[in-house]
Amino acid sequence: MFANQIVTGVLIDEVALDMDELARACQVEPDWVVRHVQAGVLGDTAALRFRSTDLARARRLLELERHFDADEELAALVIDLADEVRRLRARLHALGIRDT
Amino acid sequence: MEYKDYYATLGIDRGATADDIKKAYRKMVRKYHPDVSKHKDADAKTKEINEAYDVLGDLEKRAAYDALGRGHHAGEQFHPPPDWSEHFDFGGAGADDFFADLFAQAGRSRRGGGFQMRGDDIHAAITIDLADAYRGATRTVSLRVPKAEGPGRATMQEKTLSVNIPRGVTPGQQLRLAGQGHEGHGGAGPGDLYLEIQFAPDPRYRIEGSHVYENVPVTPWEAALGGSVAVPTPSGTVEVTIPSGSQSGRKLRLKGKGIPAATPGDLYLILDVVLPPANSDKARAIYQAMARDLAFNPRTA
Repeated sequence: MFANQIVTGVLIDEVALDMDELARACQVEPDWVVRHVQAGVLGDTAALRFRSTDLARARRLLELERHFDADEELAALVIDLADEVRRLRARLHALGIRDT
Repeated sequence: MEYKDYYATLGIDRGATADDIKKAYRKMVRKYHPDVSKHKDADAKTKEINEAYDVLGDLEKRAAYDALGRGHHAGEQFHPPPDWSEHFDFGGAGADDFFADLFAQAGRSRRGGGFQMRGDDIHAAITIDLADAYRGATRTVSLRVPKAEGPGRATMQEKTLSVNIPRGVTPGQQLRLAGQGHEGHGGAGPGDLYLEIQFAPDPRYRIEGSHVYENVPVTPWEAALGGSVAVPTPSGTVEVTIPSGSQSGRKLRLKGKGIPAATPGDLYLILDVVLPPANSDKARAIYQAMARDLAFNPRTA
């Protein structure tokens, strides 16, 4: 076991990732990121800066594309639908309504 | 370590073709996808399925796994021979799984010779309590990581980190810990660790982004006549004025009393009118008096 150390991180909502950092975190080439930003399915085309939701989204897109040979638009659609389900479930939960 | 049967995980036999494996994987992943599955252990199952497919879906990794697994059964104790990985080289297998363990144990002798590569990033989650997001906290996270032990050898080890959780974090945010990822090769630097913030379920509070919801039980007279009640909140007990004429389900918003994020969230109190039981003569008499004197029919209102 390693010695226990106290470490401090940064929230990537405060210090956003740049394109190379996002690519590295997802183990893809920067081209992959560029292609998805240009297709409008990831991040914000105005600034190549990425936050928590972008990182999570990129990793989910990648998984769908790899495992289902999904095209990027289709992968994005699946994730948008899944996000909507999660959002609605979170809403139900917040309001104290059981989802059965 | 315990032997894991990836073929059994995907429900296929050892002779399966690459196409069979892909089909089986897709079927399983759809069945257990956490967004659609009703299975209680959907998350754990999905993780197992992905782990199995990461290996069996890759020709080279599958060959390595097959070379090793002949005659072994799931759950058995298992020790790979010291030199078995001579012909395979997977570097940072990444995940904290059985396969990564195997390769760490078997060593990475072929990684020497001037080859330089920054260590991979690690992705993991850390679970905190709502109180931690209000006040900030230090929480520990345990990771299984390969640790180099002399040239070309590594073992999987438990690495425990105490992580400072900044005040104001919300679910799904990612904390980046520079240099806490996998070790680099040939003198290159380590990767980073990304920790996704998750919240443990709380019996009283529910979280949506930076907003927090809480049910507040009130009596019929507090709801009807209004009044001040003491309500426990994540930032301490507050006196809340219940407006007269309130009904069950009414939401009272305490602005800025949610998670203290960059834009602070709100705290919503959902009123829950609770009727006193009519279990004594006196209580029954009061209900009967209301029935007689109020002439109230909610179905015609």
